[in-house]
Amino acid sequence: MTMTRGYHDIGGDPAGPVPKTELPWLHWEKQVEAVRNLLGDGTRRIISLDEMRRGFESFGIEKYAKLSFYRRRVEAMIDILIEKGVITREELDAEIEAVRARWNNV
Amino acid sequence: MKARFQAGDRVRVLHLGKTGHIRTPFYVRGRTGTVTELCGYFLNPEELAVGNTAGPVVPLYRVSFPQTELWPDYQGPAHDALSIEIYDHWLAAG
Repeated sequence: MTMTRGYHDIGGDPAGPVPKTELPWLHWEKQVEAVRNLLGDGTRRIISLDEMRRGFESFGIEKYAKLSFYRRRVEAMIDILIEKGVITREELDAEIEAVRARWNNV
Repeated sequence: MKARFQAGDRVRVLHLGKTGHIRTPFYVRGRTGTVTELCGYFLNPEELAVGNTAGPVVPLYRVSFPQTELWPDYQGPAHDALSIEIYDHWLAAG
């Protein structure tokens, strides 16, 4: 029997002391959750929570380990949107460039 | 799918060898616990993870494991337990 274990499935592994400092919930992180809720709600059903999880569980451990909780969610949603043909990488890159240009002109 | 287990049943978590998104953590696989309740019937997250929302729904159980069953070096009281929700297809009669 194959013993499959995802790199994210770390329950029970030694982890050292748990940091008990409250982290701020940043505005862009709230936006990530807002977008996820819109993509997954009952009328759109574009990305389910489990689909997004499958996304970041498929990153490979190096990418997974270097991204924060909300960066993982953003990157996974982008992967799934591209996989489903909702957007293309080119459209996303163009939009990022346009937003960056607007931002720099403020 | 009809629920195969009910509260009080002893169950063992299977090693299904599945890849992809699964909700049964590694640390409970192969362990024996007791069903405490049937939580209901839900779409299988392994199918939802690949965009299949057609179903069918599967029974989901809350299963209790003694901590000493999960962690051989557990130092806490013997009655300490961990409760976790596990889908029907991951369980066999224990």
